[in-house]
Amino acid sequence: MSLVEARGLTKIFRRPEKDPGLRGALKHLVQRRFKDFRAVDGIDLSIEAGESVAYVGPNGAGKSTTIKLLTGILVPTAGTVSVAGLNPNADRVANARNIGVLFGQRTQLWWDLPVRESLDLLRDMYDLSPAFYKQRLERLDAVLGLGELLPVMSRKLSLGQRMRADLAAALLHQPKIVYLDEPTIGLDIAVKDRVREFLRELRADGTTLMLTTHDLGDIEDVCERIVIIDEGRKIFDGPLAEMKDRFARVRRMHLQLAEVTPLEKLAERLPEVEIVGGESPTEVTITFDRFRYTAGLVIAAVLDVVEVGELHLDEPAIEDVVRKVYAGELLR
Amino acid sequence: MRRVLRIYRRSLGAHLRAVLEYEADFWILVVAGLLFQVLNLVFLSAVFAHVPALNGWSYPEAVLLAGTFGFINGLGPLFFEGTWRLARRINHGELDYPLVRPVNVPVQVISGGIGMHGFGDVVGGGAMIGWGLANAGIEWTPVKIVGGLVMLVSSATILLSLIVIGNAVSFWVGGPHPVFAMTLIRTADMAKYPITIYGVAVRAAFTVLVPYAFISFFPATWVLDKEHSWIGLLTPLMAAYCVWLARTVFRAGLRRYDSAGH
Repeated sequence: MSLVEARGLTKIFRRPEKDPGLRGALKHLVQRRFKDFRAVDGIDLSIEAGESVAYVGPNGAGKSTTIKLLTGILVPTAGTVSVAGLNPNADRVANARNIGVLFGQRTQLWWDLPVRESLDLLRDMYDLSPAFYKQRLERLDAVLGLGELLPVMSRKLSLGQRMRADLAAALLHQPKIVYLDEPTIGLDIAVKDRVREFLRELRADGTTLMLTTHDLGDIEDVCERIVIIDEGRKIFDGPLAEMKDRFARVRRMHLQLAEVTPLEKLAERLPEVEIVGGESPTEVTITFDRFRYTAGLVIAAVLDVVEVGELHLDEPAIEDVVRKVYAGELLR
Repeated sequence: MRRVLRIYRRSLGAHLRAVLEYEADFWILVVAGLLFQVLNLVFLSAVFAHVPALNGWSYPEAVLLAGTFGFINGLGPLFFEGTWRLARRINHGELDYPLVRPVNVPVQVISGGIGMHGFGDVVGGGAMIGWGLANAGIEWTPVKIVGGLVMLVSSATILLSLIVIGNAVSFWVGGPHPVFAMTLIRTADMAKYPITIYGVAVRAAFTVLVPYAFISFFPATWVLDKEHSWIGLLTPLMAAYCVWLARTVFRAGLRRYDSAGH
């Protein structure tokens, strides 16, 4: 069995159905109507030990709810979850020792206490030995620069500092499985890079990672597998490379032509292709569907018309794919 | 259990240090607590200036009763203050982190704060208990001393359980303020006077429906050998029942918890 295994995972929230305004609110007091909302709808998911999985989807797709179901915070409406052989809800305490969780939008640090005190409290909760604790703090200092944050009160931390301290808090007990819900949200480039570097190291140590994010840089830097969900359903699950192969249909070729050439002449040779001029008159960008044309065919067609100086081909960007998913353009 | 207590103690200690960060706040709260007990005493004195006894309760006996209530009431803010933040935490989805830590959630919630006004209540109430006991003319026997202590602990347990039950109702109510718990605990204030001064309906409600009368009245009647003093002996049983109820309600609530956002 996989380390993390979910079968038919479903969570239905009951939401009050109210008409707008005060009238609606008052009406609801006497006439209570509710509507079911399926946040997560029959998700199957298996994660092997040591895998790093990006869990991606538009806002409200059910990413955070899935994480909350996998970590035992929420009780599933239907379906089963098993994490390292435990039911995260029924065996909550035992499961808590195996996992580390970070919700990027929230802190688990005690607001009025220095970071050091928050970590000390967590040390007590996880029963860490003094030697292990010391060693972990040193390690976290090395990768997250934790040392300078220890004496600072949580409420005085900047967002970037807070995220570093929160990462340390989530990983203090060296969990086997780490769930990160938007670990780079709101961070500047420098801190983002630092966090990603840290996540890569975590992966190299053999930690199993699952992260949700809207930042595609996080995915490309850290994950090898991507799961895309929308409206609570899984629409893709596989290696990052496969996703690009399958969904990144559009490729873009940039050409430096030897002489100025009317774009129509190129278009005649290449039907159903988008041809756009560049900054200088000899620059041309050709966008084509890689299931209709190969790069070779495109070049051959252009060479029939004009000599080509330089050319380069854009890598298929996962951004394009995910954008399409978000816009609802991919078929189920 | 020892581990849970240790975590509870450490967590409370951390919050105490946090409170001490704001020194002015600390002193204001301590003085406010003391002042509240002094006001209680002034009120009782004013009443007893006109009557020698209140429904068979002498002045020292009434002071003992009010002091016991004040003392126990002060334990809430001192040791269970975090419970009052439960409604907000549920409403904001802030139980997510406690739920992924290997520690019992109620302990994390209960130890999540400390209210220093309880300190004044405990000191003021304690002084009133001391004065009341010394002046009420009690015949002390070993049984009475041990019994009295057991009842004090039981009474405190009942009030603290009520705080937990009242606040755990927030799992169902969902709003950010513990309105139900406020009502429940504010009403307990009526139990600082001999409940015989109320009508029979109130007395019955305070004994059976919500056991306010067991917080100070029945234990005091036992210690003072008043009429129906045997009911006081039920206090530990009532305490056990309240703990069970608090635990059950909290657990059921936690299963309903649906965080915030999705």
